[in-house]
Amino acid sequence: MGKRDGDVRISLQTLRALEAFLENPSDELSGADVQKRSGLASGTLYPILLRLESAGWFVSRWEAIDPASAGRPRRRLYRLTPSGLARASELFASFGRGVPA
Amino acid sequence: MSGQSLRTGPSATWDFAAARYLIGCAAHKAPPGLAERLEEEWLADLTSRRGAFSRILFGLGCCWATRVIAREFGAAAAVAGSSASGQRLLVGDGGRDFSRFSRRTTAFLAIVCLHVAAFYAYMSGFARSVVTTAPGWIDEIPLAPHPRTPQTPPPLPPPNLAHNFVPNLPAPDLPLRFPADPTVITVFHSSRPTVALPPVKHIKRVVGGPGAGFPDTEDYYPPAIRRLDETGAAVVSVCVDPRGRLTAAPSIVESSGVGQLDEGALRLATAGSGHYRPTMENGRPVSACFDFRIRFQLEDQ
Repeated sequence: MGKRDGDVRISLQTLRALEAFLENPSDELSGADVQKRSGLASGTLYPILLRLESAGWFVSRWEAIDPASAGRPRRRLYRLTPSGLARASELFASFGRGVPA
Repeated sequence: MSGQSLRTGPSATWDFAAARYLIGCAAHKAPPGLAERLEEEWLADLTSRRGAFSRILFGLGCCWATRVIAREFGAAAAVAGSSASGQRLLVGDGGRDFSRFSRRTTAFLAIVCLHVAAFYAYMSGFARSVVTTAPGWIDEIPLAPHPRTPQTPPPLPPPNLAHNFVPNLPAPDLPLRFPADPTVITVFHSSRPTVALPPVKHIKRVVGGPGAGFPDTEDYYPPAIRRLDETGAAVVSVCVDPRGRLTAAPSIVESSGVGQLDEGALRLATAGSGHYRPTMENGRPVSACFDFRIRFQLEDQ
């Protein structure tokens, strides 16, 4: 069903989620942002984000806003860790695609 | 946090409320350490969705995500980053992947299994048994009692005894005695076990044919055939009324082998209408069909 990198099962959906981050690795993206870039359904995306976060590919934090004043809940923002970026780059290189620009 | 966040945002629309309900249900089924975080995260992402369908789909997706997350992370999940500190997610069973199939693969396998089951049911006659048992379900539907009105057949008209009807039937073998009262008939059973049928009448039948004044064959001999010294005979079928006239167009029953001779025979048979001798039955002319042969031959033969 997919290739394993460490403890993470690398599926096509995982690659699409990673690709969304690799467009600009320094960006912090919420789940909604990743969903827009990757086109993944919510039922697929959030387990992937948690899986990659628990494996150390991502770190996440809450958006620094006051929900009461902003009128909306805080977003959870994800960002690639340096090790996650390196592993993702290796992963795309192994697939012969290279790191997306 | 979740309770406060649930009351914020564009929650006026029904689809938003429904999606929020789905997210709430999904979050409550998530591992305890992740429930609040996932609920707030999903509610925040829900605000960026546009359209009722998109929001409902998002809520349903969150329900599915909860199932996957609960299976992968289980009760040992703990979140150190549920606050704004941004620490890593710590999971006791982190990284273990229990999901053997993706959602798409699972749906595909489910569809395949349903097709196989339906095909097996169809081939094993399950569909037929369903059809045969269906009337039983229909019988169990309670129906309102419908008052039945007794339908009596209309009374028969009284027999017209004044009409003097004398049937033309053969004399019965049963010994009948007609009393003085014509409305009462008493039948006395005979000691004979069987009733003999009346004797069959033999009809004397004389089949008709060409009669007096019937046209001469020579007049309808095709000249081209005559010059070639061709001869032949054709059998023609005609239907004639009691006055010797044709009631239908004649037809060839047996060909002479020469098409022009057959045509001449048909013309001759048609021209002979009114000059046929009708078929006689018991001395009376009747309408009947019969065949007769028309022979075309040279005079010197």
